[in-house]
Parts: sequence; structure tokens; C-alpha cells
Amino acid sequence: MNRNYLMFDIRRTLRNKRVLIFAILMPLVLFAVFGLNIPKDATEGGISAIAYVMVSMAMFGSMSAAMSSGGVIAAERDGGWNRTLRLTPLKPQAYVISKVILSLLVAVPPLLVVFVFGMTVGDVHLSAGQWITVALVSWLGALPFAALGLVIGYVAKPDSVQPITGLATMLIAAFGGLWFPVEQMPSAMKHIAQLTPAYWTGLTSRSALTAGGVDTQALLVVLGWTVVLGFIALRRFRADTARA
Amino acid sequence: MTTTTAVSLMGVTKKYGAVQAVAGVDLSIRAGEVVALLGPNGAGKSTTIEMLLGLVRPDQGSVQVYGGSPEEAIAKGQVGVMLQSGGIIEDAKVGELLNLVAGLHSKPMPVQEALDRAGIADLSGRTMKGLSGGQKQRVRFAMAIIPQPDLIVLDEPTTGMDVESRRDFWASMHAETARGRTVLFATHYLEEADSYADRVVLMRNGKIVADGTAAQIKASVSGRRIRATVPGANVTALAALPGVRTVETRGDVLLLQCADSDNTLRYLLSNTPAHDIEVTSADLEDAVLAISDGSAFQGEESLA
Repeated sequence: MNRNYLMFDIRRTLRNKRVLIFAILMPLVLFAVFGLNIPKDATEGGISAIAYVMVSMAMFGSMSAAMSSGGVIAAERDGGWNRTLRLTPLKPQAYVISKVILSLLVAVPPLLVVFVFGMTVGDVHLSAGQWITVALVSWLGALPFAALGLVIGYVAKPDSVQPITGLATMLIAAFGGLWFPVEQMPSAMKHIAQLTPAYWTGLTSRSALTAGGVDTQALLVVLGWTVVLGFIALRRFRADTARA
Repeated sequence: MTTTTAVSLMGVTKKYGAVQAVAGVDLSIRAGEVVALLGPNGAGKSTTIEMLLGLVRPDQGSVQVYGGSPEEAIAKGQVGVMLQSGGIIEDAKVGELLNLVAGLHSKPMPVQEALDRAGIADLSGRTMKGLSGGQKQRVRFAMAIIPQPDLIVLDEPTTGMDVESRRDFWASMHAETARGRTVLFATHYLEEADSYADRVVLMRNGKIVADGTAAQIKASVSGRRIRATVPGANVTALAALPGVRTVETRGDVLLLQCADSDNTLRYLLSNTPAHDIEVTSADLEDAVLAISDGSAFQGEESLA
């Protein structure tokens, strides 16, 4: 990682607030619309239904924020920025790692805002330990999507990267059970859900609220997705920066 | 850093599909030289520069920068580069970009100094996308000098600048060359090569067709240029005269590049109503045209 580079990117991200605001507002609105009228005693998947919706929406927000790096990378590639960087002593790996860290940082605000909203407006009651665990595990859940954002950034053209990212986010969130509880899906849909990383990140985060604690198997699948997507991102990155 | 050879290209070729972009280039640049790589669009200047910087791998031949690979020289911060276009981040501020580039190098000059030298101290807080083309070029220039490199490479640095910006730019550049930096710049503006380079390397069709000082290149062309007003001139007949290289018409005014101006003059005076005749010796432009036509040189013969 290069601290200079990370700071440079953080400043740019804070200036282009649109992406971040969108990543915060979308899950918040969905949470308000679908979550707030749930009866207090309703449960789903072993936890209170409103906590279920809250975690799903937080995951959805952090996931879209983490994937937003794709658009930035595609635009940078198009503008020849990576050529400029290749003409400096910056190591390519340092660039990639800075981008991943940036994705993890931008994943934090949507998580925090949705959790705080759930705690205050949604009246979700969790122990302090549970809040901390669910926040940390949900944050880890942004990892595979940070890698996916990189992949999209290195595959897509700048004019198609926004729709591709948007579509990928929606499909993964919807089919992965972040918009609609997996437990209520028909069995065919449940099988499809398990093919998405969002199913596993949702499962991991919700498990933090169950009596059994964090589902380590689900967490391993999340890390597996991270490794696979990270590997693809690195391959694409190498291909992109290889000399012609 | 005491190596006297800054850049060495040997037998370098590059083909893109069916196009032979660079067809065998040998070029050695000594430390401290200011070299212009001159040639029309498509001559292979940019590809040569890309290979020199390690952005493009040559099909054949070898590239050395300060005795090592281009990547090694870049990793050591020995090379400052100003590419033709792009290569910046539109939503970044000028000061942020320069801070970043400075932070990536081990011995950068202070950002303020780079801003001053590039003449953009007042633009530090501005966002790139709000700048004019000429201002962006100056930011690129600041990015190229901020590492305090031994070698500065500029690919058509003044493209898109107006006359005044170009003059200012070259004044800034001149201050850098006066500091003893080695400079290689590609251009298709002859007067830039003529005014600012110690040495002019002329490329055409992927090859170096001339290499020497501007004066040497001018001297290599023995011809003259005739300018005359000739109403109703028969251009075809004039072009067919022995020793006439090119004929240009501007209304009734003819411009003839001649290897044998005496004979052409004789013909004009006795066979046409030519008047207001001027005969001038070749300038760099004529030399370049003549060399590019292949009429002054055979093949790759070097002037140096």
C-alpha cells in the first residue's frame, strides 16, 4: 500500500459524494419501506425480522459502496492514468491494495448509518457485543465485493461500467437474498441464492445475532469468494498492465 | 549517475498488425543532450518513445536507459515523462496531483517549486477538468519535473497550445535544459526542433532518416526555394522540369523546391509571364521535406 496514494483517493472520494450518498440512501430507503412496518415479535431465520432486514440492508449498502471502485478504475484506465502510474516508482500491487483498502473504507458509512438507523428508528435491540460483532463481520463481507469491483473496473469500458455495476449489484443482492429473505424463497431460488457471494455474506452477518454466534463455515465461503475474485482481479490487472 | 549514455536504442522494431510502426531504430543519447525527435504523424515517434519508456515491448532490439532497463530507471526516479494527452485525473486538483507524484518519488522538489517552474502557481487549488488544454499541459510538465529526473521525455508537449502558451512553455523548458537535464522531445513543429534542440533526429516511416544539428540538416539540402507570381502557370509542366522537387500553388503564386534553381529560373523567365521572383536557400522545413521525399538522402544515411 502507498499511503500517499490512499490519501489522494480518499480526498477524491469525499469530493465525489454522489456514489457514497447513493450507497447510503438506497438501503436506508428500502429499510424504511420494508422494515419499519414489521411486527416487533416477528422472526426470520432465528433472529428478529427487523434485525434481519437491517442486516440485509446494511450488507446491500456496503456491497454497493465497495463495488463502486469499478467505475473509478474504468475511468482511470480510459484516461491513461495507469500509464502515468507505470512511469512512476509506484508498485502496481501497491495501487491495487490501496484500491481495496479504499473500498473497505467506503463500505463503512452505509453499514454504520443503517445500523444506527436500526438502533434508533427501527428499535432493534442488541447487546453491545452483538453490535460490534455484526458490524465487524458485515465489514468483512465487503471484501469479496471490493474484489468484484476491481474485476469489473478492469473488464468494463467506462461508458458501460455504471450499468454493469448497477445490474451486478441488484442481481447479486436480489438473488442472494438481501432484498427478500432466503428462508421465504422457493427451493429452486434458494439453490440459486447459494451461488451468490451475497447469500454467504448475509448468512455470516445474521449469524452474529443468533445464539450460536458467527457461522464460521459461511465466513469461510465469504473468504473463499474473496480469494477467487481477488485472483481474477489480479489476473485482469496483470493483463491490463502488461506491456503491449 | 556518471554514465555518459542516457538512452540507447539498438535495432529496435515494432509492428502493429500489418503496420511496421518502427522499422529498425538505433539511437544513442548522451547525458546532457537536448534532442528533438521530429517527424510527421505516423512516423513512429510515439512508438519509439513508448518503447524507450518500457510502455511497449519492442519486437526486436534492445532498449537501455542509464545502462539498465527502462523499468529500472523509472523505479529509481531517473525519468520524468510528459505524455501527449491523458494520463491525469480529471476530478483531482492540481496541487493534489503534484503532491501525489512527489510522494511517489524519493527525492522530489517541493510542490510549490514545481508549480512555480511550470508557471501554474495560481492553479494549485483548481480541479483538472476546469483547465484549458494549455494549462493541463503545464500540469503534465510539472508532473514530469517534480521527481527531479535526469532524463525528461516529452511527447509532443505543445500540441493544442496557442502560440503564446507554446512560447511560455519553451521558456520553462529552457530553464530545465539549462540545469543540465537530458531532454528528448517529440514534435512535428519544425521551429521547436530548430530553436530548442541541440540535435534533431528526423523520423519517417519508422526509421531515422537524418540525425544531426539543425544546421547540419539544413546544410545537407543544396536546393533553393523559388517563389514567383505566374498567372496561368502550367503546374504539370513545371513539376516535370529537371531538378524541381515540389510545386505548390497559392492562387497565382508558385512555390518551387528546386535542386537546380538556375535552370528553373531560366525556364520561368523565358517561357512564362513570371514576375516578383524570390529565390531563398532552404530552411529546416525545406530540408525536412527534401529528406522526407528521399531526394536528399538515400535510405537511412546519417548526417552525423
